[in-house]
Amino acid sequence: MAMSKEELKKAIEEKALTSPKPQLYIKDFYAVDPDTKPRDMKNVANEMVREGKLMFWSSGSTTMYAIPSRIKNEEGAGGIGNVE
Amino acid sequence: MAKRETPLLDQLESGPWPSFVTDIKRQAETKPECWDILGILELSYKERITHWKHGGIVGVFGYGGGIVGRYADVPELFPGVEHFHTVRVAQPASKYYSSANLRQLMALWEKYGSGMTNFHGSTGDIILLGTRTENLEPFFWDLTHDMGQDLGGSGSNLRTPANCIGESRCEWSCYDTEEVCHSLTLHYQDEIHRPAFPYKFKFKFSGCPNDCVASIARSDISVIGTWRDAIRIDQAAVKQYVAGNYPANGGAHSGRDWGKFDITKEVINLCPTGCMWMEGAELKIDEKECTRCMHCINVMPRALRPGLDKGASICVGAKAPILDGAQFATLIVPFIKVSKDNDFEELIEFIEKVWDWWMEVGKNRERVGETMQRVGLPTFLSVMGIEPIPQHVKEPRSNPYIFWREEEVEGGFARDIDEFRAKHKA
Repeated sequence: MAMSKEELKKAIEEKALTSPKPQLYIKDFYAVDPDTKPRDMKNVANEMVREGKLMFWSSGSTTMYAIPSRIKNEEGAGGIGNVE
Repeated sequence: MAKRETPLLDQLESGPWPSFVTDIKRQAETKPECWDILGILELSYKERITHWKHGGIVGVFGYGGGIVGRYADVPELFPGVEHFHTVRVAQPASKYYSSANLRQLMALWEKYGSGMTNFHGSTGDIILLGTRTENLEPFFWDLTHDMGQDLGGSGSNLRTPANCIGESRCEWSCYDTEEVCHSLTLHYQDEIHRPAFPYKFKFKFSGCPNDCVASIARSDISVIGTWRDAIRIDQAAVKQYVAGNYPANGGAHSGRDWGKFDITKEVINLCPTGCMWMEGAELKIDEKECTRCMHCINVMPRALRPGLDKGASICVGAKAPILDGAQFATLIVPFIKVSKDNDFEELIEFIEKVWDWWMEVGKNRERVGETMQRVGLPTFLSVMGIEPIPQHVKEPRSNPYIFWREEEVEGGFARDIDEFRAKHKA
């Protein structure tokens, strides 16, 4: 059975806090609950951004998610990929 | 910001073509930070390495796209471009602008940015080059509140949908591309402004197979207008073309004398399927062999027109080269009716089926066309619930293997081998 929204938020936060890399793809969150559909997972992650618990990190071509405190400051964050 | 010495860049102004260096120097007269663009580029030319780094956590509140962070890695040398973020503004459908709108947009960009632009990016957006992080929210407020315009897509979002001029000015358009583009842009606001996918996703709408937005080469879902019935032929107009009374190609290419119009050489022999011929003075078309390439219609627009039973073909999986090189889209649905009467229900159902599958199966930074290539077309068709048809075959016999599922084989996989061998010797 899929997790509730609150359980998902907790699991996503835990994943983003403990992952070796500070920035995670949306697909990295799928593993926290395989029963949750990708679209629902995306909605929960984006809701966490609106709440300030997560933030977007974008290379221009790809978007990743991060815990705000794990990224020191935006001016220091380098690019990772091609922009189109 | 001081004027920069740029001997290497200056050479680019000496050629026969207009140079961006000249443009940036002119802009630097009112926006001195533009000297630092030239300075940092000159340094890169000298050191043969880029001094830009792109990406970051800039954006406007509530949006996960539309801004591409860009920073100089030598801000102490070029403080004017310490931040130099790109803003993507959604273009109006078919790129119809009023001069008042353009003036207002440019005034806004002079106020908050470098004043430099790129009309348009490859996705179709208006690209505004160069602003600082603290200017993003005020710019966004004015753009949305004063001008009623919005940011476009970037990152792992649905990118700003694009379309040809469609029925607004083109008699060949087989569906209302502007209506579809506008409706789906509104329908998918969340996907455009907030990341949803393993990578970028684009759809583009062309009204006919001329594909004026090059959707078949540039979009993950390409919707190209087509028709099911016969090309409409006006035999009287055919005679006028043959007699040389109507200019071929609507009078295009008329800068030189190409000689007398030759329908056999210029139309019939160039038909890719050889489905046209003359019977006396009448042009004939074997409708079932026609691939809707548009060549004959382009050459003789007063004599030939698309049929009346109109709709669109859907192709999936094009991309521009980043990983494995450029890839054209693959035909998946040969014909679909595209109608506002049912709010484009069939098209939306198709799009979301592709998304649901790709979001699950696609790898990070893998376009849907790459996922299709990885799993194979038969698997994709099966997931989409589409029966394979001859139009799905790119070329005959390129892949000899057919993997039957048990339910497709009479008797399943558990049939009696002895009985089989009795009829078919090993």
